[in-house]
Amino acid sequence: MTTATSHATGEVTYLEAISQALDEEMMRDERVFLMGEDIGQYGGAFRITEGFLDKYGEWRILDTPLAESGFVGAAIGAAMMGLRPVVEMQFADFISCAFDQITEVAAKNHYRWGAAVPMVIRAPFGGGIHGGPFHSECPEGWFFHSPGLKLVAPSTPYDAKGLLKAAIRDPNPVIYFEHKFLYRRIKATLPTDDYIVPIGKADVKRPGNDISVITYGAMVHLALEAAQMLAKEGIDLEVVDLRTLAPLDKEAIFSSVHKTSKAIVLHEDNKTGGIGAEIAALLAEECFDSLDGPIVRIAAPDTPVPFSTPLEEFFLPKTSDIVAAARKLAAY
Amino acid sequence: MDLADVTSQIKRADLLHMYYYLRLTRALEDRITALYRQGRIVGGCYTSHGMEAIAVGYASALERDDVIAPFHRDMGAFLMRGITPGEVLAQYLGKRTGPTKGKDGNVHMGDLKRGIIGFVSHLADNLPVATGAALAFKMRGESRIVVAGTGDGGTSRGDFHEAMNFAAVRKLPVVFFCTNNQYAYSTPLRLQMAITDVVERAKAYGMPGEIVDGNDVAAVYLAAKRGIAKARAGEGPTFFEFKTMRMHGHSEHDPAKYVPPELLEAWKKRDPILAAERLLVEAGYGDETYFHEILERVKKEVEAALEFAEKSPLPEGPEVLEGVFATDADLSHQATHSRSAA
Amino acid sequence: MVKWLIPLGGAIEKDQSLLEVETEKVDLEVPSPASGVLNEILVKEGETVAVGTLLARIDSAPPAEVISRVGGVVVRPVDSDAAGEEHHSPAVRQLAKEHGVDLAHLKGTGAGGRVSKKDVLEFVARTSAPGTTTAASGEPSMGEEILPLTQMRKTIADRMVKSRQTSAHVSTFFEADFSSIASFRTGRDLTYLPFVVRAVTRALRDVPLVNATWGDQGIVIKKDIHVGIATALEEGLLVPVVRHADRKGLTQLAKEIADLAERARSKKLSPDEVQGGTFTITNHGGFGSLFSTPIIHQPQIAILGVGAVQKRAVVINEAIAIRPMGYLSLSFDHRVIDGATADQFMAKVKHYLEGGHWEQIL
Repeated sequence: MTTATSHATGEVTYLEAISQALDEEMMRDERVFLMGEDIGQYGGAFRITEGFLDKYGEWRILDTPLAESGFVGAAIGAAMMGLRPVVEMQFADFISCAFDQITEVAAKNHYRWGAAVPMVIRAPFGGGIHGGPFHSECPEGWFFHSPGLKLVAPSTPYDAKGLLKAAIRDPNPVIYFEHKFLYRRIKATLPTDDYIVPIGKADVKRPGNDISVITYGAMVHLALEAAQMLAKEGIDLEVVDLRTLAPLDKEAIFSSVHKTSKAIVLHEDNKTGGIGAEIAALLAEECFDSLDGPIVRIAAPDTPVPFSTPLEEFFLPKTSDIVAAARKLAAY
Repeated sequence: MDLADVTSQIKRADLLHMYYYLRLTRALEDRITALYRQGRIVGGCYTSHGMEAIAVGYASALERDDVIAPFHRDMGAFLMRGITPGEVLAQYLGKRTGPTKGKDGNVHMGDLKRGIIGFVSHLADNLPVATGAALAFKMRGESRIVVAGTGDGGTSRGDFHEAMNFAAVRKLPVVFFCTNNQYAYSTPLRLQMAITDVVERAKAYGMPGEIVDGNDVAAVYLAAKRGIAKARAGEGPTFFEFKTMRMHGHSEHDPAKYVPPELLEAWKKRDPILAAERLLVEAGYGDETYFHEILERVKKEVEAALEFAEKSPLPEGPEVLEGVFATDADLSHQATHSRSAA
Repeated sequence: MVKWLIPLGGAIEKDQSLLEVETEKVDLEVPSPASGVLNEILVKEGETVAVGTLLARIDSAPPAEVISRVGGVVVRPVDSDAAGEEHHSPAVRQLAKEHGVDLAHLKGTGAGGRVSKKDVLEFVARTSAPGTTTAASGEPSMGEEILPLTQMRKTIADRMVKSRQTSAHVSTFFEADFSSIASFRTGRDLTYLPFVVRAVTRALRDVPLVNATWGDQGIVIKKDIHVGIATALEEGLLVPVVRHADRKGLTQLAKEIADLAERARSKKLSPDEVQGGTFTITNHGGFGSLFSTPIIHQPQIAILGVGAVQKRAVVINEAIAIRPMGYLSLSFDHRVIDGATADQFMAKVKHYLEGGHWEQIL
């Protein structure tokens, strides 16, 4: 058995944190069960559920047919009947197969006839792994626009574990965007006690006074890197990690920009119509009097995620983008 | 069906009960159609006119804690599960006293307390959901089952196939049905599938399938009972193709000129209510006087329902913002209805 | 070279026919090797050239839109001449409102010269006097009275501060013996002012650099001499201008000065009577002031203050004499003139004031 059951007091990776959250929730609540492709026998494409089948059996770890719409729909039905399904999309890109069930059935269910759907869909998203157009996508924008869904995107092992637990305990459909690039690249020591990270609360990962960088996912780490570099030049970034995309923690976003008067909105998703556009609009509407400079967005260009390395490198926002934009904005 | 088979397998009271609901369904939907033509109902208006035996038949075979995931031509099942005609008309009129409080219209009703999963307009979306409900019952070792269906048109969608497949793979306690009324809006069967009988799909997914005369309420009832028994016994899903004919247009605004009139003429003779009456007379369970009584009763019931619906208040504008998200309280309340009665 | 199929400046696609040539063997159409714009034609129709000669240049511009990951920071340079019309960011406006800062007084250090939030905050920190809000211990406070700002007061405030920020103010002080003027005045209805004006205009003719203004192209020496007379009013001050003051005699100067002053006080001056001055005189001795450091009236480069004329003991020819003496205070713009020039000018003013011969310019 791997780290799935070990309550390590040492460092765990982002991936292990997710695994721990699933394991602990399944032990705590017998209603929680997992569905997805290759999660049982194989232990999951990313090995997150390694050992779970032996521990929980084939009626709590379901290897599903290749039918996202079918098994997401089933999760909805099971959730309505009192269970707590956690569905795994092997890659977030495949969530489009279940788009109909998620946006038409799950999202609208409680609104229409009062039946809650306490379901979680885990979606490994993001690029930087040579995955090409169908294994690197950031699809959160499509669901951001569907009332009735909650969306979360942790950037650290601590947040990954806490948010997944919160998502599983939430009575609403939650899409949990885990950034696959971060899986084994970041580590942290986690509390041994049970804890959650509340949905709907952003986190200031680095306080600062000059420019607010509002971001989520792997981009948080680029922002922190940029902040270190810019500190030497006397430019003090404040990095606000959204952690929850829907509902947005407007209070945190606004109080940061009220303080700094300058904002950079950063995400890996394509720029046009991405969540950054909504945040920029909110800032213009509700923080206008505090703005001392234009709201700058940094995002991937409006193309599918390309495969070839030089193309993907050009595509993904990088630390140097943040540094350049911050310098310009600071001097404005 | 053979009279002897019917009377030996179905109690008199049950048949009369089914007849009542056939009549109630017809009267209610006729009233809805009339209101629509008077311009008092807005939006879509879909009825099961001439097809009532299917919903009434399968709903009669359910136990109290079973769950249905119906589609838009299952009004009889809604009524048998306990949605009152008053609530139905309130729903159509967009009133706050309907099951969705004005949030959704026509037959998009749902209520977990009464074991009804509300469906969406995207046909066949309800089938994976039904499969999931059945999965929950199996996982918890409950003896509850799910009955879910769609029309011939709905069986063209991916969700139909994904649901059938998953249910069969996992041997889930769900009974699938297809109300084959031969037209999906204006699309005749031959433009929807290369097979003649939808039941052939059952074999493809590894479950037993049966063709049933959809206009014979006794046949539908007995078939449903068989499938439900199998499911409850842990033998997995069954598929029924209920053959029938769509006597009105796709919706009440559709004159359906694409349907050959001779087809309608032929099926008029096979009207399920007339067939039920013939059966009851043959069995000695009813006569003209009785039928007239029932007609009067359902008429009164529908009129009272309309009065209730008309007197009911409309929701107010700001209510549009309510209910997007569920609370923990909603969920714990719901939990009491999602498990078997102890 | 037979024919160009695309006009100069026209767009061309790759492989599209671009020109017709005639060789020894054949006439043919030549397809373009690239897409773009035909920028330069080097060989005209009808010319014959050797094979290999450069015929034309096609400008294959890169695609107009470069996909960018980073949204732009567009900087509009601040138009420093459009005083008062400057655009300020919402944060700057809000802060200015909260702290009562007049943004027109701030120099911006932001991009393009814009006033940034930092500039406002630093200004507030600089100008807030420490301890003014602490009340004396134990003593009851009398409160305070607020006088609303009039338009004139705002304008004066604005102009004074701007002038100080624009010119490099330096002062030089001279003393003049007013006895020849004093004796000439006896029995005549003349104040000291026309004499001073007269002396100043002659000095300006001698040192024309003082009658100038700072310009982008260079120092603009004005050939005409228009002298502004600073006139105190109940609510502020105005500076009506005596035009071509160098051409006017004492009597006329006196008359004009009196008339301008009267109309200034009764608010009957027209706008062009307070514009166009090339030098200003301010008579500050009315209440006994001896010296002053007046603020230059932009866009001029000097202003002369005349203090109270008082009898003083002075040394003349190794003996003490009693003479009516007055101090002359010149503020000048050190961008344009240096101390030597200023003193040169002042020496002339003194010379003409003490020189007499007033009857010739009555």
